[in-house]
Amino acid sequence: MKMIVFEEVDKSFGGRKVLRNLSAVCCGGQITSVVGPNGCGKSTFLKLAGHFMLPDSGRVTIKEEDMVLQGEELRMSLAYMSPELRFYPRLTALENLSFFLGLRGIALDGRQYEEVLERVGILPEAVKRTRVGEFSTGMRQRLLFCVMLASKADIWLLDEPGANLDDEGRAMVLREIKRGASEQKLILLATNDSRERGAADEAIDLSGN
Amino acid sequence: MKPSTFQGIKLVLRKELMTGLRFRAAWAAMLMFSFTSLVCISFALGGTSAEPKLFAALLWILLFFSSLAGSDRVFSDEEAEGTLMALRVYAPSQAVLFGKMLYEFFVLTVITVLLLPLFIVFLGVETKEILLLLCTVGAGLWGISAAGTLLSALIVGAGVRSGLFSVLMLPVILPVFLPAIRLTEAAFGGTVVSLSFFGGIVLYDMILSVAASILFDYLWYAE
Amino acid sequence: MKFVLGACIVILTVMVAGAVFFVVPPAEGLGNLVRIAFLHIPAAWVSVIAFFMSAWWAAAYLRRGNIRDDARSFSSARLGFVFTLLATVSGAVFSKLTWGAYWNWDPRQTTILVLLLIYGAYLTLRAAMEEYNRRARVSAVYSLFSFLTVPFLVFIVPRLFFSLHPTPVLNGSGSVDMDPVMLVTLFAAAADATLIYIWLLLKSSRKEEKI
Repeated sequence: MKMIVFEEVDKSFGGRKVLRNLSAVCCGGQITSVVGPNGCGKSTFLKLAGHFMLPDSGRVTIKEEDMVLQGEELRMSLAYMSPELRFYPRLTALENLSFFLGLRGIALDGRQYEEVLERVGILPEAVKRTRVGEFSTGMRQRLLFCVMLASKADIWLLDEPGANLDDEGRAMVLREIKRGASEQKLILLATNDSRERGAADEAIDLSGN
Repeated sequence: MKPSTFQGIKLVLRKELMTGLRFRAAWAAMLMFSFTSLVCISFALGGTSAEPKLFAALLWILLFFSSLAGSDRVFSDEEAEGTLMALRVYAPSQAVLFGKMLYEFFVLTVITVLLLPLFIVFLGVETKEILLLLCTVGAGLWGISAAGTLLSALIVGAGVRSGLFSVLMLPVILPVFLPAIRLTEAAFGGTVVSLSFFGGIVLYDMILSVAASILFDYLWYAE
Repeated sequence: MKFVLGACIVILTVMVAGAVFFVVPPAEGLGNLVRIAFLHIPAAWVSVIAFFMSAWWAAAYLRRGNIRDDARSFSSARLGFVFTLLATVSGAVFSKLTWGAYWNWDPRQTTILVLLLIYGAYLTLRAAMEEYNRRARVSAVYSLFSFLTVPFLVFIVPRLFFSLHPTPVLNGSGSVDMDPVMLVTLFAAAADATLIYIWLLLKSSRKEEKI
């Protein structure tokens, strides 16, 4: 089981302190929500957790049992999703899927593709011909979610996963997050959606920072 | 679960080829840039015959600037489209580096294959040693793509972009550039030159590739 | 500690300056111009030392991630740039006065020019990066990557360009063909320049860390 540990983390941007002396522990098998108003550092928290950013001081570590994960080993065990993340607009959805999954050493056959696409609510015909550049924002969001589900990553860092999705899409996100937690995944959820917040086992509130 | 590095490289290379082929404007810009530079040189010389040494120098300046037009986009295109983050999340470093390096080498080779005959025809250069010329150009392009790919990753996130890439590139590529000019001069019928220069370029290419491989991890897994 | 270093530098500088202008005899064939060498050679020496140290601290930064190593690496590169400029300019003046042209494509002139290019590229790169963690990492990587040209400079450049420089002071045969007074002064000047480098480095990297 994996764990993300924040120890006295400070982070500022251009002189503005976003995170101050923050300590937190997130565990596998749990949904940990990261909440607070806009600009309080939710996205920063997630990027720090995924080691996509360095803290100014303090330490962020990801552990499995007592081993600290680093570099490639760490990167290959996490999936990250945010509104900033984009897939190749000139490739079809299917090409994007098989590229990103292939990089994680996963090759799905036709049936498995259909299954995972159905889970996120994308029609299998849509992925074959349509380039991602022609997808609607909601469909792109679903596609990001689809790669994350199929990637078999143990750590999910979700930045506003419900953004741009319709009600049915938000329900899908909620369902899949709960399913992920039951499969012992470590789920960090930065959100302002009250239903997503309600699904969390733990909450890290950044508003007081 | 981890794919072999070889497979990863193949995936990245294939992805680059697919996106590259579907982005014709980039190719057109690169090819026209090289062609324009060539015509520029040709006009400037105005049909006067020159020493093999000058031709060799001009050829490498032409190749250097043509490569700049393509190399600095290796990562910055992905950054501009927002796909770089997705690649960082899912792709292992070595697959990205070598996949992109191979693609860069492919692009430069295509440009050179089109450019070199035109260069010889337009400027009326006599080529005495074609094999030497081709080997030199090949070794030179290897070095340029190895250094270019790493340096292109360096300038991601830089506030100033224009010009920065060439400033970074020149000192690193000089060990390829200078002997390559000597060898090309020999191929154009100039002085006889020691082949150890060629060995030197290949050795330096290998050193560049290994160093890029080691250093790229620090950029890709910045933590 | 700092005071002792400062005192050493002042005393040594006065001694070296005195020796250069009053003790060292005009050299055969070069006359009084030889005195430029006492600025030129130590400056070139420090340029190279600063370059090595900058790469050394760059590697230390990548290994340990301590931002202090980055500050040192940067300070060393910045000082190296200044000393390289000094060496290049003094060398060009000397060259004009003795060999007739400011620039001769002499191997060592070429080498120092490449060094100047690398330092310039490094400093430009740093100026262009805004986020300081990324700046540290990126400049460390460039510092080490550009370091690869050094063996080339040593081995290939002398084969491409002819040298006008006198053979090294300590040449292969182990004999020293230089006036002993000049030799001692030269070593003292080099030591002085190195101390000045260390002093400036301590000062500027401490300032850099605070930012």
